[in-house]
Amino acid sequence: MARRVAMVAVAQNAGIETKDNFYDQAYRVTKEVLDKAGMTRDDIETVVSASSDVFHGGISCANSYYWETTGAFLKNASRQDGESLFALFYGAMRIMSGHYDTALVISLCKGSENPPNDTCTLMYSDPFYLRNVGLTETLAAAFQMRLYMEKYKITEEQCARVAVKNLRNALGNPYAHRKGRYTVEDIIRSERIADPLTAMQCAPKSEGMVAAILVSEEKAKKYTNRPVWIKGFGSSLDSYSIGDRDLLKGQLSNAARRAYKMAGIKNPAEEIDLAEISEPYAFQELMWCEDLGFCKKGQGGKMIESGMTERNGALPINPSGGVLSNNPYVSRGLQRAVEAYLQIRGEAGERQVSKKVKTALAHGVHGFAGQCHAVVILGR
Amino acid sequence: MGRPVAIIGVGQTYHGRRMDVSYPELVREAVMAVFKETGLAPDDIDGVVSGTMPSMMEGIALTHFYFADAMQAAGKPIMKTETCGSTGVSIAHTAYYWVASGVADLVLAVGHEKMNEGNSQATMTTVAEPFYQRYFISGAPGVFSMQSQMWTARYGIPEEKTRDAAAFISVTHHDDAFDNPYAHIKMKVSMDDVKNARIITYPVRLLDVCPNSDGACAVIFASEKMVKKLKLKPAWVKGVGYRGEEYFFGDSDKVVWEAAIQAAKQAYDQAGIKNPRKELDVAEVYNPFTFQEMLFYECFGFCELGESPDLVLKGTFTRKGELPCDPSGGVLCTNPIGATGLIRVAEAALQVTGKAGAHQVPGAKLALAHAMGGVDQFNGIMILGSEL
Repeated sequence: MARRVAMVAVAQNAGIETKDNFYDQAYRVTKEVLDKAGMTRDDIETVVSASSDVFHGGISCANSYYWETTGAFLKNASRQDGESLFALFYGAMRIMSGHYDTALVISLCKGSENPPNDTCTLMYSDPFYLRNVGLTETLAAAFQMRLYMEKYKITEEQCARVAVKNLRNALGNPYAHRKGRYTVEDIIRSERIADPLTAMQCAPKSEGMVAAILVSEEKAKKYTNRPVWIKGFGSSLDSYSIGDRDLLKGQLSNAARRAYKMAGIKNPAEEIDLAEISEPYAFQELMWCEDLGFCKKGQGGKMIESGMTERNGALPINPSGGVLSNNPYVSRGLQRAVEAYLQIRGEAGERQVSKKVKTALAHGVHGFAGQCHAVVILGR
Repeated sequence: MGRPVAIIGVGQTYHGRRMDVSYPELVREAVMAVFKETGLAPDDIDGVVSGTMPSMMEGIALTHFYFADAMQAAGKPIMKTETCGSTGVSIAHTAYYWVASGVADLVLAVGHEKMNEGNSQATMTTVAEPFYQRYFISGAPGVFSMQSQMWTARYGIPEEKTRDAAAFISVTHHDDAFDNPYAHIKMKVSMDDVKNARIITYPVRLLDVCPNSDGACAVIFASEKMVKKLKLKPAWVKGVGYRGEEYFFGDSDKVVWEAAIQAAKQAYDQAGIKNPRKELDVAEVYNPFTFQEMLFYECFGFCELGESPDLVLKGTFTRKGELPCDPSGGVLCTNPIGATGLIRVAEAALQVTGKAGAHQVPGAKLALAHAMGGVDQFNGIMILGSEL
């Protein structure tokens, strides 16, 4: 990696619903992250935002709408659609290129004003073949879950344990939308949405405006004495048609391999101290752990049973409560990175893990059954 | 500037009303064209940048999914860049930064639009703010007509002169399009035809306005190492500028248009350009409306503020003029929006590598490409040169 890039401040405003309108909410998060970094708008050289048009934002060309409220007035700014970790990568690349020293990265999704998640995800289906049969992210996830359970003898109980763990972890997270102490039975007995998926195993629809400030290595000292470095990142896109894909052998391992290579990570299970993973459906946390190399293929169920992914386990996964507890669609990837940042800095409050976190992984996903993955490695 | 980056190949579709192909097939046509042109294969590509107009126009959301296979992007790192009308140039910028950062050596940028299957004006209405502005800012012509009225009023340019200059631009670009094999509208028009065409939104008439086109464009960006290895003629990226301003139309001055002025200045500073009219050999200005093209000449420093109609009528910006603008026929003759900005970049690359064929500006070494978007909000520039 040519030029190192540090995260020096983060801010978020998330949960079920805020009283602020879109403009005010975006402004407050932008202002908060600048204040935390000890910066003014003038110190920011470039802005990269993430959002989604119409279906996840209520307006076409979403960044036209929020341009000035995210501090981008008369700045060189750009935007990524669909996945907020792309915005983090793009902000980092702008700094790595040598053009800029400071970048504001912000993701905007006001779930409370959006239609239901699957009204939006139905629009990923092409209008000729797939949309007619009603293929949504939840249906695709149900196919994937069934395949996963059958191939690797994963049980419903093991999948439900993810929701139990994450919703309990969320009790310590003031930004969580859904939280509580539930039993495996509570999770399995909740309404069956798309067999074998039950309601408590599907993420809610939440708000999430999430921001981070990135700074070049040369300037990082000016803003913090505890920078969190972006050590590596990678993404991978799958084929379009769901029938063309192997839903049990997806693109996450490719995305992770790229990020690990950039970060010089050889043995992720040992070198990564904590992971914040996007699991819009509970079982996916188990699958993604396997694809990330935290355990062997098909061992995700045993891994959660061992307790090692608990907040105070050997490899905490989603101590924030993950996407099951808060799901601002586009923003969820960046929100994972922000949570990983807080854990590395020891600033995660009640959700802080007991072990020391030196290197953490954040993951984002969008589309059907893991259609597109993004991974970032952060470290001290 | 960071690590040197060059464009080593471009591919375009035959733009127009392409009812012979589906939308993914249209995308594939451009992508295959750039692979054929460069002799590269999809396996050689380190990453893909995709972009379009918003989902309302596409009929499908998150188009990088739908076009993953057409773009040969399955299994590859991906970025999805969207900035409304300026998307095409923003895609090029993303590909540029990706290579300049050292993360990738070969990046494929793909922009596309199949406007004949969507409703562009209805979509653009949903860009406007829903509570106050949407009622009167509908579609593109309304906004741009207001802007052209502001401009002529500000400088007291006589109506007759602006009409003549706009008609002159329309006539010359329509003529130019005959020499561009990929252009959509190929139609001989006279000054009188333009001046008497049906009014769309006063003072804009039908022949002052771009068409709805189907089209795609694919461009490969390469690191210096790959340029040397592949021995393909490079168009080096010399400058990248971008600026955006307030959302509410009326909050900012659209005549002395800071977003356009500062975007150009950022790119000129990087490229070391002091006198653009002299130093640039050709410019591909985003010109969906004849009037707006003149305003851009002024904001980009091709002439003084308020002076452009005079120079247009003198022929300064024609293909044989001092600074040829839009020798491809420009947006006025071809506008598949998500691809349009990238087509400007591709045309600039063709010009500085001497590959523009019948519309080649002889000896062009330094070229400007531009796109505009949002509610008259965003301007993006890329400057390309034949020398590093």
